[in-house]
Amino acid sequence: MGFAITLLTVLAAVCVVASFVTQGQSYEWYQQVYSEGTARLIVGLGLDHAFRSWWIIALTAFLCGNLLLCNLTRLRPLVARTRAEADPASALHGPADVFGSGIADPLPVFEKLRLPKPKASQVEGQKVLFSGKNRLGLWGPWVCHLGILLLIVGFTLGQMLHREYTVYGVIGDTKPIGDTGYYLTIDDFQVKLRDDDTVEQYVADVTVQRAPQGSTTVPDSKSATVSVNHPAGLYGFKVYQNSTGYAARITVEEDGTPLQTGVVCAGEGVEIADAPGLTVYLNAFYPDFYLQPGVGPTTLSGRMNNPAYLYSITYQDSMVGMNYWLPTDDPITVNDYVITFSEPQSYTLLQIKTDRFQSLALLGGLVTMVGLILAFYLLPVKVWAVESEDGTWTVYGRSRKGGALFREAFEEALQSQTKGETL
Amino acid sequence: MTLPLENILFYGVLCLYFLAMILYFLFVALKKEALGKGAIWVQILGLVLHTAAIVLRGIVAGRLPLTNQYEFATAFAWGLCLVSLVFILRFNFPILGAFAAPITFLIIGYAALQSKEIRALMPALQSNWLGFHVSTAIIAYGAFGVSFVLGIIFLLREKMKASGFLDQHIPTREKLDMLSYRSVALGLLFLTFTIVTGAIWAERAWGSYWSWDPKETWSLVTWLVYAAYLHLRIRRGWQGRSAAIFAVVGFVCVIFTYIGVNTLLPGVHSYK
Ligand code: HEM
Repeated sequence: MGFAITLLTVLAAVCVVASFVTQGQSYEWYQQVYSEGTARLIVGLGLDHAFRSWWIIALTAFLCGNLLLCNLTRLRPLVARTRAEADPASALHGPADVFGSGIADPLPVFEKLRLPKPKASQVEGQKVLFSGKNRLGLWGPWVCHLGILLLIVGFTLGQMLHREYTVYGVIGDTKPIGDTGYYLTIDDFQVKLRDDDTVEQYVADVTVQRAPQGSTTVPDSKSATVSVNHPAGLYGFKVYQNSTGYAARITVEEDGTPLQTGVVCAGEGVEIADAPGLTVYLNAFYPDFYLQPGVGPTTLSGRMNNPAYLYSITYQDSMVGMNYWLPTDDPITVNDYVITFSEPQSYTLLQIKTDRFQSLALLGGLVTMVGLILAFYLLPVKVWAVESEDGTWTVYGRSRKGGALFREAFEEALQSQTKGETL
Repeated sequence: MTLPLENILFYGVLCLYFLAMILYFLFVALKKEALGKGAIWVQILGLVLHTAAIVLRGIVAGRLPLTNQYEFATAFAWGLCLVSLVFILRFNFPILGAFAAPITFLIIGYAALQSKEIRALMPALQSNWLGFHVSTAIIAYGAFGVSFVLGIIFLLREKMKASGFLDQHIPTREKLDMLSYRSVALGLLFLTFTIVTGAIWAERAWGSYWSWDPKETWSLVTWLVYAAYLHLRIRRGWQGRSAAIFAVVGFVCVIFTYIGVNTLLPGVHSYK
C-alpha cells in the first residue's frame, strides 16, 4: 500500500511539474524563454515531452504492474471474504464494531438498519439471527482497479497504434487520406452564421471512397455529415470537423489567355506551371475588409460584404509584389502576367482518425466509475443477534467501512430497545 | 445581453450568503443556538434564490448556463452551498457553515467580478456532454470544498480546548474523519464522472479525448491526490491527521485547476 501511495503521489507531482513547462518546443525556444541552464535541464530530463518521456512511462508501468498484482493476489481472499460475509458462523468468530446486550426483541434493530429479514440458525449450539447487505461493495476497489488498468492499457495502446490524418480543401475537392488507399471528397461545406454574425456551426458533407474518383473501378463509397461535436464514422475512420479558413481562386492570364486557374487556401501559394518562376500566394483573406487606422487590416464580420485578398508574388525567387487586392481594383500585373482573385469561400479542415482502443479506454472509465459506486455506496454491513440463556439477545454489528457513522446508526437502532448496553 | 432580474437575484444571493456567513460567525462567537438556526435558514433562502437565478439564466439563454467563467463560478458557489447544507442538516453540524460559508461567499464574489453577459455558444461548446461534464464538476467541487472544511476543522479541533459548546457542536475526530471520507468519496466519484464526460466531449469536439492540456493534467493531479487520500486512510494509523492534510491539499489542487490553470498556464481549449 505504501508503494501505491508513493506512486500516486509521485505521478501527481510529476504532472504538476510538467504542466508548468510548455510542451513540444525546441531547445532554442526554452533557452529564450528560460535560461540556458533551465533549458538544458528541461530537454535533458525530457520535460519538453513529459507525457511521453521514459520516466512517466516507467511510472505508469509500475502503477499497472502494482494494480495487476494487487488485483490478482486479492482475488481469492476477496471471494473467501464475500462468502464469509454471508456466513453467521464466521461473523460469530470475527470481531464486531459495536454490540448491545440484554435485548428482548432484536428484530426491530435489523429493521431500523434497513437490513433484509434476518435468517435464524443454530451455530455451535446457540440460536443466531443473521442478516447482512451490500456484500457486492466488497468488490468495489477490485472493480475500480480493474477499470483503471483497462483505461491505462486502452489509452497507451491507442497512443501507440492510432492513426491520424488531416484533409483540407474546398467543396468538390477529393483528397487521399494519407497512405490508406481511401479518398475523401468534400461534397459541401457551410459556415452557419447567426444574425449577430457569430458562428453557429461548421457543417461538412463528406464522402469516403475506396478508389479515387475517375478510376476504372466503381468506387465503393459512404457519405456523412460532420460538424463540430458531431463526428462521423466511415469505413472505420472517424471524421471530425476540426477547423476552417478562407480560400479563393487564383487566375493567371497572359495576353488574355488563361494560363492557370485554381483554388488555394489562405496561407498557401501556387506555382504557375506555364509561367516558370512565378508563384502567387494568398496570404490572408478578409471577407468584410476594413483598414483600421493605426491597427491595420481587419474584417468587420464573417460575411462577404467587402472581400479583400492579401497576396504576395515571387518571380524567380524574389518578391515582386505584396498588397491588398479588392475586386474593384485593377488586375495585378507582373511582367506580362495578369493575376486576379475570385470565388472567395471557406475551406474545411477535417481530422481523420482510427483508434481501435478508444472503446477500451472508455470501458475502463465506465468500469472505474462502477467500482467507485460499489466501493463508496454499497458499504457492507452485517448484523447478528445471539440468544442468551435468559432469553434476551445480544446484537452485534460490523461494517468495516461504516466507521463512526455505522456505530451511530447502530446505537440509534438500539435506543428503542433500551435495555441495551453498548460498546 | 444581460438580465436585470438575474442581476437583482444574484446580488440578493450575494447579500444572503454574506449574512449567513456573519450569522454563522456570531453563532460560534456568542454560542447562541438561535443564531446557528438563523444562519441555516438564511443559507437555505440564499440557495433557493440562487437556484432561481441559475434557472432563469438557463431559460433565457436556452441552454444549460454552465459555459463561461461567470456561469461556472456561480454554479460552483451553488454546489458548495448545496453540499455543505446537506452535511449541516444531515449531520446536525452548523459549525461547518462557519467554515464553508466564507468559501462560498468568496467564490460567488469571484463570480461577481466576471462578465454576466449571455453570449451565444461557439460550436465546440454546443454539447450535451459539456452539460454533464460541468454539472458533475459542480458537485465534485462542492464535495471537495466540504472535505477541505472538514479537514481544517479536524486540524483545528486538535488544538482546541474542550468546551461544552464545541464538544456539543463539533463531532468527534473519528466522526469528522468519517464525514471527510464520505465527502471525498462523493467528490472523487463525481470528479471521475467529470473527467470521463469531459474526455467524451473533447473527443467529439476536438478529435482527441485526452491531450494533456493543463486543465486536463490538473484534474488528473486532483484525482491522484484524492486517490492517495483514500489509500492513506486504509493504512492503519494514517487516518485522521494525515488524511485531513491530504483533504486540504486536494482542495488546493481543485482551486488551482479551476482558477490557476486559466490564469497561469497555457491552454489549448479554443476552437481554431
Ligand atoms: C490511480 C490509481 C488508483 C485508484 C484511483 C484507486 C482507487 C481505490 C479505491 C476507490 C479504493 C477504495 C477505497 C475505499 O473504499 O475507501 C481503493 C482501495 C484499495 N486500493 Fe486502490 N486505487 C489505485 C491504485 C492502487 C494501487 C496501485 C494499489 C496497489 C497495491 C492499490 C491498492 C488498493 C488496496 C489494497 C485497497 C483496499 C481495498 C479494500 O479495502 O478492500 N490501489 N483503491
